[in-house]
Amino acid sequence: MNILIVEDEKNLGLEIAEFLGKEGYTIEHAWKKSSAEEKIFVNTYDFILLDLGLPGGDGFELLHQLKQLKDREDAVIILTARGDVEDRIKGLEAGADDYLPKPFSLTELLARMHAIIRRKHKLEMNEVNIHNFILDIKNHKVSFEGQKISLTGKEFEIFNYLVLNKDRVISRINLTEHVWGDILEINSDSNFVDVHVKNLRKKLSGHAPIEWFETVRSIGYRINSGK
Amino acid sequence: MMKLQLKLALYNTLTKVAIITMMGILILVSINRISVNHIHQRLIQKKNKLITNLSSVKINDLLTQQKTFTDYNLLKEEYIILKEVKNSDTSKLKHYFSQESREIEGSQEEYQILSAEFKYGGRRYLLELGETMSTVGQLEHTISVFTFLILLAAVILTLLTDLAFSKFLLAPFYQIIDQKLNKVNDPISFNYEPVKTTTEDFKILDQSISILMNKIADLFITEKEFIANVSHELLTPISILNTRLENLLNDEKLSPEGENKVFACLKTLNRLKSIINSLLLISKVENNQYKKPDSISIKELVHEVYEELEHRLMMMELKFTINLSEDHHFTGNRSLFNTLLMNVVNNAIKYNLPSGSVSIYDTYIDKHYELIVEDTGQGMDLNEVQHAFQRFEKFQSEKEDSHGLGLSIVRSIASFHDIEIEIESEKGKGTRVIVIFPEKD
Repeated sequence: MNILIVEDEKNLGLEIAEFLGKEGYTIEHAWKKSSAEEKIFVNTYDFILLDLGLPGGDGFELLHQLKQLKDREDAVIILTARGDVEDRIKGLEAGADDYLPKPFSLTELLARMHAIIRRKHKLEMNEVNIHNFILDIKNHKVSFEGQKISLTGKEFEIFNYLVLNKDRVISRINLTEHVWGDILEINSDSNFVDVHVKNLRKKLSGHAPIEWFETVRSIGYRINSGK
Repeated sequence: MMKLQLKLALYNTLTKVAIITMMGILILVSINRISVNHIHQRLIQKKNKLITNLSSVKINDLLTQQKTFTDYNLLKEEYIILKEVKNSDTSKLKHYFSQESREIEGSQEEYQILSAEFKYGGRRYLLELGETMSTVGQLEHTISVFTFLILLAAVILTLLTDLAFSKFLLAPFYQIIDQKLNKVNDPISFNYEPVKTTTEDFKILDQSISILMNKIADLFITEKEFIANVSHELLTPISILNTRLENLLNDEKLSPEGENKVFACLKTLNRLKSIINSLLLISKVENNQYKKPDSISIKELVHEVYEELEHRLMMMELKFTINLSEDHHFTGNRSLFNTLLMNVVNNAIKYNLPSGSVSIYDTYIDKHYELIVEDTGQGMDLNEVQHAFQRFEKFQSEKEDSHGLGLSIVRSIASFHDIEIEIESEKGKGTRVIVIFPEKD
């Protein structure tokens, strides 16, 4: 999959590229509006990560230009540090697939991209296997050797996010923000996520040992793929 | 306090009353004087006539049998007395006026009296001519009544006309107050069209308000730009740091100790982000950047908040009750109000004691719907309650990870919705947060 990162902040663009590169994506950069235009007109992308405040013009203009091109399926995620309340609605109305305010976590970006891929390409493979636990991402269900495991919505969300970001330590804050969204002050107290993780592990361990579901002391959690 | 309209009308009326009363008194006094003067002149004329026509025969006739002659006409308007004066030949002849009360045939009357002495045939006589004052009294009475009636009519008439006129005159003033001040929530969408008036003063007022609003609108726009700039300039570097640290974690050469430090950095960074976002949220709310497009059901929202925070209640083993008597709806910004409620309920959970309780209920007081979130938590003393809404205000009881902006956010979202927040709290017993909604239109 190829991705165009339209971001004037080079440091940020390069960090995103490093992360997504490791995930196996092909990355192209555009540092200003004019170069982004050239690239969009010539190539098609699976993803365009679009910053709104660009040298030489507004990201929205670029989005409008893209939407006027025929037969294009490029998914657009707006990444912005602009504080405008209307931006989110404006972006989604203009045809962006998602909107992620800066600062965001790279694992969250990855989760959003996966969600878009599933939605857009109607993936047949909507099941993920982790140590013989099968996650049916489309229907939000988990089973083990054909046996259904009943999880709450939040528990599934947590499991899914950890599996998606397997072999990475996911901090409590990161997890809380993914599951409950950014509700400011409230999330500063992120220990509450432990209750959900505790319940989730109890349910999973009823079927098989889950030593791969690791608690990383004082930080968060990690699911090891064992590869 | 009194309205200008009423003040003006009262002032006008009072001055008119004063002038008319003065005039009335003046007229009464002068009428009295003029009448008395006329009576005096008449009496002198009569006396002269009498004395000229007098002869010794007549005097004798008059005084034939008695020593005194008295006569009065039928209606007792006039009388005459003639008598001889003795033993005082040397003194000067008396001639004076007086006002005296006389009883004539049983009825008391006030008379103007001319007492004049004259000599006739070597003898000295006193002539007393009297004329009743009752006609003067009558005249005075009539004038008094008349003056009073005019006064009354004038008072009522001027009061009414003044009220009506000043109401008409002041109409543009109230229109300006209403349209240009009271109904203005957002200086950006201020209506600059002047209010129609022919009064120069109101035109000046209208223009001044417009100029002021223009300045405020400018400040608002500047503030909006400032917020956008702060937002961009602070959040971009945080974003770079955040992604860089995340990438660092992917480095397999990183030691567990290093990993811990990187996570600590991420945590601190998250705290910074949270503070900035909270401050930006408050600024944006106060800068009127949000709209109020949603019809919000309190009942629905309370249940949503409960579901979101359920796990926290479980963890603290708190008893939670929702008891809403009615489903109050109001227009506002759903996501903002959700944040408000989340913060209030979350505080009730966070500062509770294990096995305590949180209850949400409602009531109607003076047509205002009130939502109450009550906990059996740590509570606050009076000083803490007074400072609860201040930014970055943290108390001893506060948890480490709090940054003291929760209630500031609550307050700005509340005032954005014309909602009042009251806190009642007792140390060690618990806190009651009362969300008072505006009266429904």
